[in-house]
Amino acid sequence: MNLVEKYLAKASGKDTVSPGMDLTCRVSYVAAHDVTAPIAIKMFRQIGVKKVFDPERVALIVDHIYPASSEKARDNVWTMDDFAKEFGVHIFKRGEGVIHQLMYEKYHAQPGELVVIADSHTGTCGGYGAVGVGVGSTELAAAMATGQLDLEVPEVVQIHLTGKRPANVFGKDLILYLGSRFGTDHLVDRALLFTGPGIEELSISERMTVCNMGIELGSMITLFGTTAREPDTAEDLELDLGTLEPMIARPFSPANVVPVKEVAGTAVTQVVVGSCTNGRLPDMEQVVNAFRGKKVDPAVNTLIVPASKEVLEQMEERGWCKIIRDAGATILNPGCGPCFGAHEGLTSARDVVVSTTNRNFPGRMGCMKANIYLASPATAAATALAGKITVPTL
Amino acid sequence: MDIIKGKVIVLGDDVDTDQILPGYAMAEPYDQLGKFAMAGLAGVDFKTVYEPGCILVAGRNFGCGSSREQAPIALQQAKIALVIAKGFARIFRRNSINIGLPVWVADVADSLRTGDQIEVDLEKGTITVNGEKKQFQPMSENVVKTLSYGGLIPRVRAELGIKD
Repeated sequence: MNLVEKYLAKASGKDTVSPGMDLTCRVSYVAAHDVTAPIAIKMFRQIGVKKVFDPERVALIVDHIYPASSEKARDNVWTMDDFAKEFGVHIFKRGEGVIHQLMYEKYHAQPGELVVIADSHTGTCGGYGAVGVGVGSTELAAAMATGQLDLEVPEVVQIHLTGKRPANVFGKDLILYLGSRFGTDHLVDRALLFTGPGIEELSISERMTVCNMGIELGSMITLFGTTAREPDTAEDLELDLGTLEPMIARPFSPANVVPVKEVAGTAVTQVVVGSCTNGRLPDMEQVVNAFRGKKVDPAVNTLIVPASKEVLEQMEERGWCKIIRDAGATILNPGCGPCFGAHEGLTSARDVVVSTTNRNFPGRMGCMKANIYLASPATAAATALAGKITVPTL
Repeated sequence: MDIIKGKVIVLGDDVDTDQILPGYAMAEPYDQLGKFAMAGLAGVDFKTVYEPGCILVAGRNFGCGSSREQAPIALQQAKIALVIAKGFARIFRRNSINIGLPVWVADVADSLRTGDQIEVDLEKGTITVNGEKKQFQPMSENVVKTLSYGGLIPRVRAELGIKD
């Protein structure tokens, strides 16, 4: 068995499992946010059980539309708040941060533990070894009620990393590169597993970035293992990090990827750094290193969105917020920000955006015609300074 | 399950959840989502081809992106009878079945045109167009069963014997 199979075997109480086998797995943590929780709560009430499986292991997090942008958005918070009080579960409702970052900071899931969140980017926790499976609201309701999740054992695609990465290449560039290689659906119903000595080149934060975007390749589970190669995988691919260069996804697909140098010089009007993909302290460090003593191009609306209050506090303690503001950028409240087109930085047809977020689908940030590019914080910061897409030099 | 008959709307690959239901609709009342179904569709003005009871026929990876269950709910409220695709993103596929919206894998997007009238028998796996019947992999028994209850929650309640 490979590592994914070993973890799923443990979660389902079986000695061995193999691809295609249907399992009922024990879940360690269950969470939902303000887009998915209200429907999950409605479904939970329809099931008709009187309690959640373990209130300590259920979290509700308001991150997508905080502060509320409409009456309905605010009502969703009240729906979550009422449920949290009634069932004794914890709610984060004052802009504490994005769900995947809070699960990391507050819940500390251990390697192999199963994390089920009603959000497609649940794979993020694979960066620290936990098994994240994203679900919709109905499955989340069932998991809250039972503490279990039904799934089928996925085939595993292993990426064995070797070599040293260039200084201007990050986890973001790695997963974008894999998008260009695999496309958007090669990994549907499968798992993506990273092994090899090269994983030690990537910080936990970068591994979380990589796992965050596994879903853009379709994957069910994305996970970092150990430096040792895993047996029993459906595909096994070796990748030398030294061969990578800064990558960028062009409109309108996270898999429409080319080296940054191929689109360098494209004028931009908005740069966004943040989200569950790239809103952590090491991401902000890339921005600060680039911005220190400089000004962003006056034509570029530069929005910096820390993934959590804890990240923001660390930025303040280090004096980074002043550096960012002095450069002419705006720091938004921790949360999902403009990533998914609900508020805080929507576009019009004239906009060209470089963002560190995870999706650039048509209309993702509001306007259908706005062009969105996805890149690393280093590329985004260099681009903000130059006013045009720029290969970062470090 | 009943035979599903309807007008086809042919779509491309990678129709994501932002196209099916844009992010701005997340702040709208849940019983109004049908109005925003396919409002973000790139390349086609959905309103000009839509009619209640129609069947969406798509290419690869339909429903990729967000886990928002609002996306299939919006299609259901808009009275989309069925979605057929070469492939579905995992979470969208499960969400659809869970709320009772039939989604079915069959590779027909290249052989149909918007406006075609088709008849689909999901349990037998057949599509009939212009009197010609074609065979595909039938929908799995388990999925048919969930759909026959109207979704996962009614099925679970029935199986557990929960009444009101």
